[in-house]
Amino acid sequence: MTDSYIYIIIPLLPLAALMLVFQVNPYHALVIRAILGAVAALVYGVLGAADVALTEALVGTMLAITLYLVAVRSSLVMRLGILQEVEAEGEIDLEELIVNLRKILNQHNLRLEIAEYPNSQALEQALMTKKIHATCTKGEPERDRSYHTAIRVRRLFEIMETELTSPVTTLSYVTVSNLEDKH
Amino acid sequence: MNFILIAMILALLIPIYEAWQDNSIWQKMLAFASIATKTSIMILVISVLRDDWWIGVVAVIILSVGNAGLMLLAHLIKRFNEV
Repeated sequence: MTDSYIYIIIPLLPLAALMLVFQVNPYHALVIRAILGAVAALVYGVLGAADVALTEALVGTMLAITLYLVAVRSSLVMRLGILQEVEAEGEIDLEELIVNLRKILNQHNLRLEIAEYPNSQALEQALMTKKIHATCTKGEPERDRSYHTAIRVRRLFEIMETELTSPVTTLSYVTVSNLEDKH
Repeated sequence: MNFILIAMILALLIPIYEAWQDNSIWQKMLAFASIATKTSIMILVISVLRDDWWIGVVAVIILSVGNAGLMLLAHLIKRFNEV
């Protein structure tokens, strides 16, 4: 076990681990985790632990990555509830707003998912029961901004407040536990 | 025979650097494919050098499973980007 190449192979493991730690995008981090698994399997194989290397390759490179990809995909999402009639009218303002939202969320590695509801009661109910993170409804006609977006997640509201420059909508933060605080 | 392994380690550093500095996820997947194949080939070479059959068997399994995992991961990423 005094082969000189061992001393070059072993430092690859902390190198790959550092690459993983400093990666900010979750999808890229998953691919680098797979690379870390491959390098770890190499190190274990070189050190003579064939069974550990096999386990690392099977679990670390295949199973964990696949499961985590599904988990990351389904958790990094913002669900926006809209009314079916608003969607049916196909207004350009709403489409522009959704494009704007998508662009901002993409910068934070999030996805936008649109959920349609038949009436405003069902929409409100979905927001209060935490099925959706935000609602987008038509505002009062006398105001110049035609849409109103209510967000119940504090962090999402802060992001939207600083970055959403769209003149189409007004923003508000809703506390869900308090039913009196409706907008 | 050690110089073969040293050369392979140097070749392994190229896709590692690529995975580190490139921002496209498909470039990272390419780098991962390269690394997964290179590492298992290295284990195979080491098993021949040491005349250890068990490490060789494991290396072959890692080689085939790594390819399968790569195809699975690529397919999932592709499907998720479409929807």
